[in-house]
Amino acid sequence: MTGLDRASGVTDVVAVPAPSPPSPSPGDGGAGTAPGARAWSTAGTVLLYVASLAAAFGISALLVALTHGSPSKVFPAMYDGSVRSFGSLGYTLDNAAPLMIVAVGAIVSTRAGLFNIGQEGQLTIGAMAGAFVALKVHPAGGPVLVLALLAAAAGGALWAGLVALLRFWRGVEVVISSLLLVFVAGQVLSYALSRAFLLREHGANGANLTESDQLSSKVQLPHFGSYPHFNFGSGLLIALVLAAAIGLVMTRTTLGFRLRMLGHNATAAKHVGVRAAWLGTVALLVSGACAGLAGGVLLTGQAYRITPTISNNVGWNGLLVALVARNNAWVAIGVALGFGALQAGGGFLTTTGVPTDLVNVMEALVVLAAVFPPALQEVMRRRARRAAAGAPVAVGAPA
Amino acid sequence: MTDGRVGEPPGSPTPSLEARSLTKRFGAVVACDCVELTVRRGEILGILGQNGAGKTTLMNMFLGLVRPDEGHIAVNGRPVVIDDPFKAASFGLAMVHQHFSLIGPLRVWENMALGEKGRIDEASTVRRVGEVAERYGLDVDPRARVDDLSTGQRQRAEIVKCLIRDPDVFILDEPTSVLTAAESVELFRVLRQVVQEEQRAVVLISHKLDEVLHATDRVTIMRSGRVVAERPTAGATAAELAREMIGREVSLRGDLSAAVGHLEAPAAVTAPAGDAPADRRPVVLAVRDARAVAPDGRTLLDGLSLELREGEILGLAGVEGNGQKALGDLLASVLDLTGGTVEVAGREVASGRAGAMAEAGVGMIPEDRHVCGSVLDMSVADNLVMGDLRSVSRRGVLRRRKVLEVAHRLIDEFEISVGSVDAPLRSLSGGNQQRVVLARELARSPRVLVASQPTRGLDVGAIEYMTARLRRAADAGTAVLLISSELEEILELADRVAVIHRGRIVGEMGRNEVDVDRLGLMMGGQAA
Repeated sequence: MTGLDRASGVTDVVAVPAPSPPSPSPGDGGAGTAPGARAWSTAGTVLLYVASLAAAFGISALLVALTHGSPSKVFPAMYDGSVRSFGSLGYTLDNAAPLMIVAVGAIVSTRAGLFNIGQEGQLTIGAMAGAFVALKVHPAGGPVLVLALLAAAAGGALWAGLVALLRFWRGVEVVISSLLLVFVAGQVLSYALSRAFLLREHGANGANLTESDQLSSKVQLPHFGSYPHFNFGSGLLIALVLAAAIGLVMTRTTLGFRLRMLGHNATAAKHVGVRAAWLGTVALLVSGACAGLAGGVLLTGQAYRITPTISNNVGWNGLLVALVARNNAWVAIGVALGFGALQAGGGFLTTTGVPTDLVNVMEALVVLAAVFPPALQEVMRRRARRAAAGAPVAVGAPA
Repeated sequence: MTDGRVGEPPGSPTPSLEARSLTKRFGAVVACDCVELTVRRGEILGILGQNGAGKTTLMNMFLGLVRPDEGHIAVNGRPVVIDDPFKAASFGLAMVHQHFSLIGPLRVWENMALGEKGRIDEASTVRRVGEVAERYGLDVDPRARVDDLSTGQRQRAEIVKCLIRDPDVFILDEPTSVLTAAESVELFRVLRQVVQEEQRAVVLISHKLDEVLHATDRVTIMRSGRVVAERPTAGATAAELAREMIGREVSLRGDLSAAVGHLEAPAAVTAPAGDAPADRRPVVLAVRDARAVAPDGRTLLDGLSLELREGEILGLAGVEGNGQKALGDLLASVLDLTGGTVEVAGREVASGRAGAMAEAGVGMIPEDRHVCGSVLDMSVADNLVMGDLRSVSRRGVLRRRKVLEVAHRLIDEFEISVGSVDAPLRSLSGGNQQRVVLARELARSPRVLVASQPTRGLDVGAIEYMTARLRRAADAGTAVLLISSELEEILELADRVAVIHRGRIVGEMGRNEVDVDRLGLMMGGQAA
């Protein structure tokens, strides 16, 4: 079990996708509910989120003012850039799609108790594999696009497969190996971009790192509508279908049941016949495949070529989406859209002259504001539980 | 006894620890209701009560883990406020918890050094551990890793950890639930020494009547958060105490024999319920020459062989840490053998392949239900169906209606008291959690049921229920392997008793030929 799994207060009631109230602390004789451990009222939770976000915006405004900007112009600009018009909404949706795909993959592994945090690298490898197929297979066309996306997923799965191999063969912690493989992936990308037989752009000279060739339009994801009208890439559809599929698998199938069992209590899962290594490998492969697919969507839907910064933190941010969504695939859809809006607004903001660094800080503040309420609630719940520890507390009793 | 106060003449010493009208509520539940309690130097006070009587809450108030709503605590006659365990320690209060507070990956001496001030000095800590262990006759290896210790050894380490701090009041919460008979006797000798020679005060929390009768000077009986009786132990009878603890008459012979602790075990052997010779029934579990080694090279099983016939209960007696856990793990498919075979119903089952034993018809009530037997953060319904997902799903898709159907049926059949099937298992009492595990395993109609320490930590009512259920399962033809460190439990239930020592079976006897002295010798590893 990972720290995140516990801290995010994962709730686990079959077929109830919405966050359910915190489990009651076991009172003496199993009947009582500890004071303070009561479920937060909905109003209280909303209020906490509002206050938290208000604080984030307040600090952002302060930072803008300190850097001689104008807070009164900044926030409308963010709004303009993300959701105000159909055109800006399109940016939001396109930003959200890969985040969503990464996030639902992260949810699968985290729920299984394996904290894969290497999505950034798995995404990179996925994008490379996708690009290789898209550029090298001729003649280019629809089937090649599908093939490229599958290759991307396979690439991500392969990278996560290394993590699984290290974990179940040699007992290497998933957090460590998945993180370190991110950096290896970066090196692999540099190598591929410097070799003509791999991904290096034709006609490029010198030893400088370059980009790959641009993808032919036949292996680009279809885009519906066009700016300034309502528009979105088909990556969003892939993301939504995937999120729904994973949401259903986690709550409604025996596979999801076993994964959750594994995540909550691996020992007990083994005792009732769950093949932990096999299932854990599946979870890691799925999460890696999702990250890889996100790379494929980025490549074929937005970037159209491999650059050294193709991943652009989407892997890390997708992990954050999963964190904020408390590992619930349905919630992750909404959170990813929120992150997408934030990035679209932030991107627009930089065009109005606000320094990129500051925009990044503002985005980070909003993310923190979104993570803070559940973290605070969890801390308070634990406090209350500890204060009420007079009961015959089960395992993990504070002592 | 009169209330001792400061300034009273010698001979009536000031109580070391008092509870004065202590009240603690959790929501609507009053865990402790105006509890009055006194313990003096040089005496062992027993606190007797079932699970949920408020004993642990009371102790947690003494330790500063829980703040009282009303009333106060007095130490040596002075009212004090104890708001955290450090405060409690500074007042000389130390407790051995029911669930241990040792850190697994650390060595014993490192655990002792935790929370001490100043430099960490391995040599001196090891020496002090050795001294304390020797003074009290507790066998503890200071350099052993806690994770490698058996439950009984861990408890000894835990006790040493408390004694090393030189407490005035020494509190033990259900200390014998993990000890063998001999270890319990040893513990009570230590406690005697602690009060008589060193003039400390001891509080012994228990729901075992016999233990309280034998080991304490005075007993305070709690029921539903209240102190219902307080009396000197001398002159009290088990029946009286049981009546006050449970609040209803119980027949001592059958129902309570499990609650009566080990000390009287030899005398309390009950007659066999049905003594039909079982040796012609088919063998459903055969373990042959099983050998297994721990990752660190220790031998876990050393040529263990046993046979279990349909409808019989085989009690596996032995000092804890002699391979019982490994045998349980083997039959739960989480231990791989280096040699030997396991046959279930005549067919060999590969060891260490997840789910293979369960599929072959082995049900398992594991030793530590929180860790191995259930998933506390999943719902009651999930925990009830997790052993057999196939029956509640179609082509890999769970059928919610089917899940609920099974859950409700089992809840009714096994009288599990639960608010909602969707409530997390964590919210159930210990007895009900154990019923969930039992219900799940019996629902699969196993050929073999392995019950490891099935009544550990349960109260009288729950023990009674569990015992009856195991008997009934055997009567219905299931072969039951009862692995228990409570000899009393084995003698009450088993048709046949086998003794495990150092990873092998060293002796076997039918229930009619049980000779406790011989049993004791075998458990100690001596040929008898």
